[in-house]
Amino acid sequence: MSSETTAGPAESAGLPAERLHVAGLAAPSDAVLSVRDLHVRFTSENGMVHAVRGVDFDLMAGKTLGIVGESGSGKSVTSLAIMGLLPAAAEVSGSVRLNGRELLGLSDKAMCGYRGNELAMVFQDPLSSLTPVYTVGTQIIEALTIHNPGMSRQAKEARAVELLAMVGIPSPKDRLRAFPHEFSGGMRQRVMIAIAIANNPRVLIADEPTTALDVTIQAQVLEVLHTAQEETGAAVVMITHDLGVVAGMADDIMVMYAGRPVETGGVDDIYYNPRMPYTMGLLGAVPRVDVAEKTSLVPIEGMPPNLLHQPTGCSFAPRCPLASDPCRAGEPPLSAVPGSARHRAACIKSESLGADVDAQDVFAAPPVPVSRFDAMPREERSAVLELKDIRKHFPLTKGALLKRRIGTVKAVDGISFDIREGECFSIVGESGSGKTTTLLEIMEFHKDQDGEVVIGGLSNKQAADARTKSAMRRELQMVFQDPTGALDPRFTVYEVLAEPLQNAGMDRQAIKKRIMELMRLVGLQPDHVNRFPNQFSGGQRQRIGIARALAVNPKLVVLDEPVSALDVSVQAGVINLLDRLRAELGLSYLLVAHDLSVVRHISNRVAVMYLGKIVEIGEVDRVFGNPRHPYTRALLSAIPVPDPQVERTRERIILKGDLPSPLDAPKGCNFATRCPVFAALPPAKQEKCLSLEPPLEPVTPSEAARTLEAAPGPSPDQRFACFFPDGQLDEDMLVVHDTADHHAP
Amino acid sequence: MLRYLARRGLIYVVMIFLTTSAGYFLAVSSLKPALLEQERIPRPTPEQVAASMRLKGLDPDLSPWERYVDWLTAIVTRWDWGRSPNGAFINAEFGDRVWISTRLFLASIILTLVIGVALGVYSAARQYKFQDRVITSYSYLAYIVPAPIAYFLVQLGAININESVGERIFFVTGISTPGIEPGWAQFVDMLAHYAVPTVAITLVGWGSYQIAQRQYLLDNVNADFVRTARAKGLSRNQAITRHALRVSFIPVAQSIAFTIPAIFAGGFFAEKIFAWPGVGSWSIDAISLQDVNAATATLAYGSVIFALGAILADFATTLVDPRVRVQ
Repeated sequence: MSSETTAGPAESAGLPAERLHVAGLAAPSDAVLSVRDLHVRFTSENGMVHAVRGVDFDLMAGKTLGIVGESGSGKSVTSLAIMGLLPAAAEVSGSVRLNGRELLGLSDKAMCGYRGNELAMVFQDPLSSLTPVYTVGTQIIEALTIHNPGMSRQAKEARAVELLAMVGIPSPKDRLRAFPHEFSGGMRQRVMIAIAIANNPRVLIADEPTTALDVTIQAQVLEVLHTAQEETGAAVVMITHDLGVVAGMADDIMVMYAGRPVETGGVDDIYYNPRMPYTMGLLGAVPRVDVAEKTSLVPIEGMPPNLLHQPTGCSFAPRCPLASDPCRAGEPPLSAVPGSARHRAACIKSESLGADVDAQDVFAAPPVPVSRFDAMPREERSAVLELKDIRKHFPLTKGALLKRRIGTVKAVDGISFDIREGECFSIVGESGSGKTTTLLEIMEFHKDQDGEVVIGGLSNKQAADARTKSAMRRELQMVFQDPTGALDPRFTVYEVLAEPLQNAGMDRQAIKKRIMELMRLVGLQPDHVNRFPNQFSGGQRQRIGIARALAVNPKLVVLDEPVSALDVSVQAGVINLLDRLRAELGLSYLLVAHDLSVVRHISNRVAVMYLGKIVEIGEVDRVFGNPRHPYTRALLSAIPVPDPQVERTRERIILKGDLPSPLDAPKGCNFATRCPVFAALPPAKQEKCLSLEPPLEPVTPSEAARTLEAAPGPSPDQRFACFFPDGQLDEDMLVVHDTADHHAP
Repeated sequence: MLRYLARRGLIYVVMIFLTTSAGYFLAVSSLKPALLEQERIPRPTPEQVAASMRLKGLDPDLSPWERYVDWLTAIVTRWDWGRSPNGAFINAEFGDRVWISTRLFLASIILTLVIGVALGVYSAARQYKFQDRVITSYSYLAYIVPAPIAYFLVQLGAININESVGERIFFVTGISTPGIEPGWAQFVDMLAHYAVPTVAITLVGWGSYQIAQRQYLLDNVNADFVRTARAKGLSRNQAITRHALRVSFIPVAQSIAFTIPAIFAGGFFAEKIFAWPGVGSWSIDAISLQDVNAATATLAYGSVIFALGAILADFATTLVDPRVRVQ
């Protein structure tokens, strides 16, 4: 171990009080926030839960600390402990100093002087975080009134308008009088940020501020946070489970596991030179949207430990492939990694790890599964699902007794695609783009539908009687987003899996055999069939959901956001499973997901939807590698990449505003209102976008050859609907963060 | 808002008309005042009874439909709700009764609401503490104990006080002492009559509001927006009173608007026990006295009051909750 670092072995082995003392002395004097040996314990019915077990960090003015961890890692509890917002029953010990003043142990009343003034916070769910019965203006002004009792009403109102303008809310003066329900989720999160920065805080804590938002809105809100930090010079603590979100923003990263920091350091140390197997696993578990090369994701088996029991060894040891007996003997302290001043890792093997050790090898990622269909050209495979010009329009009516039609919501407006054997087709788009309605239309399978659905050769137009329908259902099964909600809590796994088989008319013996087979297929222990869903973890429940879908041997599985409710490390395992099943069973998938990284990882083809229409469709590497439609480009550029260097230098397209109401859709191109190309076009060309609807046209081979070096076929599989794909982008919507200077030591 | 109220009003007018008409047909075909007349001594002849009934517009020989048409014509053209078998005019009787009921319940309704909501907030802020347990247990007790028993207990208590003092401080029944001089003496007499029923009704009534308000507030005490308010720098109690309270009051406001009219129209036990002859006791008496017109009039009154309550509830919700829009 290096001797030049401040953290000696004696310090970490000492008593907490001693450690606190030493660490407190070592705390840099210019830190705005310094946390030492923070512990939080909750009393629960089952005993004491030790939710945070010794967190130390220093936050310098104007810098950003990213706290990364999965659910239950103690990252949110840490932030609430700093704010003094934990319930009274929580036991908090240690030290939290804001500009040298101790905050822990202060009364609620005394904390009020700091909260909202020097210390501010933005919460995760913008929909529930604003009081529904007060106007946005009242709520911003309240934050000003509390800390500036002498401020005049006009001054407060002017400041509120200024704040709203700063966070990018159009016509802020009028919007002051709007209620939260009149704002979209992204707008509400902007308001939350406006409230948080109202009094120019020294420290701004953002707890998963974009998790509940669409990617394009996430990009906007992250941009607003960036502006807010620049305007106020506040230090930011960014709490997230998404390694991409913090890659571009953070200066330092703290990875938490089981209530403890397991690795801390500069952002480059953590991303490029991880020294703790958990960090390596986390980094390997997230697919990348900007990488075409296909490798399996790194699955971290098992579950985080239960914090009711004090871990005897390294808390990650039960899930760690490198764990050996010394790991289980005692919890390793956070000790310095040689070669870097700030980098520390809590692993006794950290010296043998580093940049050149591949997480794929450490965690024994499975080989990329190969399907028997992969070698076969797409044209030769038969179609399992075909949609022809599907439309779903909802009339918008007004009036209670006599309904007047005042408009039409075109939820799905003439979409066609097909899915061949053994391929995964994905639909992506913001919420409200019509992805789910498309799925519902497929499941509906009714003669009177507008458009034709052909599933395994059965068309909804020919015979949609009960027999055909049940034959269709055997061809197509569904996996739902929320694994907990999708399983009846009073059914055992056996009953869950037996139900579809009984419907198919199988006898008891065959059902039993099939269920055992299914359990093994999805990687669950067959002897767990008599357990109830609540005895399984989220990832295991999703596996049960997949097993249920596969019970009747379908050809096509519809996956509706199958991994979005799961933690990153668990998500990887489920994605690998889906990949393997597709290859082994020759399945086809129709995947709806908002996470484009997952889509790129798992899909063969992808369709990008915007306001009920497909704007770009084709092979996933073509569409993602060379997006032609401005919306696809914007969507892709909104995804943060877990690579700090890429994040710091890349150009981002930040779309203005939210998805417009389908009622306001223009006659021509739906996207014109938010299009970065349209905004920069000369008026003559703008006219064309507004009056004519661009058709979905294939990319010409010459174009494909120009942009993609390896263009094999004569007609590349990529079509898009835009008149001016090569138009200049509007400069207002382009953002580049050159934060290289940020990282000077 | 006005258009909305007008439309809702119109719907309720139609509903009131239908219920009242149905009520009239039911009453006219089942209530036979002529039978009671025949129990008089000396017993009148059937012809005499019929003649006296005919004079009061209660001709037993006419078909229900004919009587309905006559009754409705009188209301529509002269606002005349008919007469009782004893010859009293419904219009005159009705006004008195409504005024008595209103006087009996007005003070206690206001007290019930204020005390119930205030105790709900107080106990929610002290959840599971001693005060909360006492108050909430009392509320459940008030729920369980039948109202007449509680009223009798309060009466007994008042009598005990009177006896121990040795002077009549409280009147446990009646509205006022007859023949008292106007002025101060009359005011004191009024208070002495008011105190017992008001205390009794209030004591029984606040329980449900306390339980509802406590529950709704507790649902909101840990809401995300309360946490936001605390993060702005409000103390826990400030955040609760400024943010959680208003949101938790929305469902309570709605229930209040609905229960006020129900009390006005149906305080039968209280009116009987405290001998305040209001609408509630009148409606029951009307049925036992085979009084078709009085029974229908109280039914119509109940419907009107209910409609008012429903509109009031909508109004209250729009007032406290900006998310509800009236179209």
